[in-house]
Amino acid sequence: MAITRSKPSSKASNNKSEPDTFTPTPAQILPASVSNPPKLFVLPKDTSTEARIVTLNNPANSNPSRYLFCPEKGFYEFTKIAAPKKTPRSWLITSSQSRDGVFKTPDSEECTAQETDKRRTPTTDGETTISDGYITSSPDLFVATPLDILFLILPALSPQSPKQALNEHFLSMEDHLDVLTTASRRLKHLLRDVRLEAMISKRMEAFCDSVDAGDEKMYRLSVKKLLSILVQKAERMIKNGLPVSMEDKFIRPALEVPVMSVKREESRISIVSATVSESTEAQETTATPSSTSSDSQATAASPSLFTPPEISHLLRLRTALTYLFSSYIPAPLHKPLKDLLSSSNSPSFTPLDTHLAHLAKLRAEATVLRSLSDNISRKRGFEDEDEKAAEREEKKLRKEEEDKKRKMETRGAKMLKKVDTSGMKKLSAFFTRVPAKGK
Amino acid sequence: MLEARLEQANLLKKVVDAIKDLVQDCNFDCNDSGIALQAMDNSHVALVSMMLKSESFSPFRCDRNIALGINLGSLTKVLRCAQNEDILTLKAEDAPDVVNLVFESAETDRISEYDIKLMDIDQEHLGIPETEYAATITMPSAEFQRICRDLSALSESVSIECSKEGVKFNCQGDIGSGSIHLRQHTNVDKPELNVEIDLTEPVSLTFSLKYLVNFCKASGLSNQVKLCLSNEVPLLVEYALASNSYLRFYLAPKIGDEE
Repeated sequence: MAITRSKPSSKASNNKSEPDTFTPTPAQILPASVSNPPKLFVLPKDTSTEARIVTLNNPANSNPSRYLFCPEKGFYEFTKIAAPKKTPRSWLITSSQSRDGVFKTPDSEECTAQETDKRRTPTTDGETTISDGYITSSPDLFVATPLDILFLILPALSPQSPKQALNEHFLSMEDHLDVLTTASRRLKHLLRDVRLEAMISKRMEAFCDSVDAGDEKMYRLSVKKLLSILVQKAERMIKNGLPVSMEDKFIRPALEVPVMSVKREESRISIVSATVSESTEAQETTATPSSTSSDSQATAASPSLFTPPEISHLLRLRTALTYLFSSYIPAPLHKPLKDLLSSSNSPSFTPLDTHLAHLAKLRAEATVLRSLSDNISRKRGFEDEDEKAAEREEKKLRKEEEDKKRKMETRGAKMLKKVDTSGMKKLSAFFTRVPAKGK
Repeated sequence: MLEARLEQANLLKKVVDAIKDLVQDCNFDCNDSGIALQAMDNSHVALVSMMLKSESFSPFRCDRNIALGINLGSLTKVLRCAQNEDILTLKAEDAPDVVNLVFESAETDRISEYDIKLMDIDQEHLGIPETEYAATITMPSAEFQRICRDLSALSESVSIECSKEGVKFNCQGDIGSGSIHLRQHTNVDKPELNVEIDLTEPVSLTFSLKYLVNFCKASGLSNQVKLCLSNEVPLLVEYALASNSYLRFYLAPKIGDEE
């Protein structure tokens, strides 16, 4: 009990002291919280003054999304970094002057400066400004990262439905842009800037076939060029390894070699026979089964046996490509790209496929073996039997819970259950449902 | 972090007592304006809406919007451990597993503390617009309770008719029928006995008495009760609490096939 009481109170004293340390007037009252708190952005350095946040269609699913556009540097997309739900956090935003170097980190300095700039203008009439220190309850941080303009033009060049063949005709840049601007009016507005048009035409050359028709250049999407660009991007993405969460989800489990050795002597023999193709190392250990230590070595060694580095590299590459496809490439283009990818040789995934197939086979064998040894130890080890038992257990639990609930019910509640509600409409017929407040 | 200190545990005890038969589990939504609760009964014909404004507490502190999913049966058990005059403090962390209740007795320096485990409750929330009702009746809550109790002995449902002459509670049962007539009435000495009728057009609606009797359990919270009626719209029964807090009940009218 002492813990629950003391913890909040210490936090409370912390919070209260914050405005005191950072503001010149100690008796300042914190402003009331607002329903739409300011958001914290980390924006790129040295963007031009014309840079702004625009709403464009997301290239992959054409939902409207926000992008930062700078006429000199191109487009940036926003990545939201949120605190985990179970550990809510807030931002304390202060300017560098009022902070007196207490929390000085280079990163936060950059973003706070921008935040204060944005906020200073509307709050001139003696209200507290953000530079005096501000606590925002929303813990999200939006980071702007450069986005290849290629992805934004791609929807215009791709066929509208998967069935439709790729557009065979060469079209002028104007025509391509027309397609783009009919889909998004805001882009049309942006395209008035000559610099953007230059940027687009430069980028189009990289992934389109082009021909000169008089004084105009005509373009056609080249799946081959596009794929090579994507592969380059994917290579760059995995150069420093994938993020840990992706690695944990897609790479490690896929390459896991099932543990094949079982303590039982007889069953080990069957393993060796089942995996004859495996290395000599395993056979050596089975040849000297007398000591227990060698046993454990065999188990430890077997998982690492079969993952050559180029296989994991290929798998990472493929994961990165899948990620690029799903988040940036319009759906109608997926099929031609994937077809080309499977037939191309530059990154050839055949070794990976054979390896994965091999692993799948091993896994199947391992499960067969395991159920075999289960049979020996428990006699009645059929899986359906297990399932049935679990189901029964669950039913019983549910029934007990219901019984408990019924017992907890008050007399009044039981009485109300008996009330004849015929002719009474449900309240949801009168009042509109409100979606659960997003949290 | 939530910390709400209530001068008298009595208030929360009465509120919970009044609604625990209608609602078994519900979310207490806490934000910086106070603690709110909205829940429907099992058959979704009645709705409870409670608002305890932050001014009802001293002090009140809530840094983050939290939903405390509480089983009202459990809450009743814990609140029974509090004396009516105890000072009650509700506490919860920002992402809480439990809600902490502290009861302090001013007289004896006894401090008792309880934790209730919270649950995740998925309940739908209805948006209730501010409505102009055709008839608004303000009367002593004890009077309303008596009417409902008396008539429930005769019948399952009561029709409430409001006209220029006054308000008539009327019921038809197997053993006979009964009706109670109230007129506008002002008592200078005891304003809590006033009956006020504010009418823009006559209304006549039928309601389930068992539910009304249930709503009347809140009578101890306020001297006066407000009934708001419009044709074909749920009845609103409001018990006003101190500092703009309230406990409201909504009940769907019985329409058509009456037996």
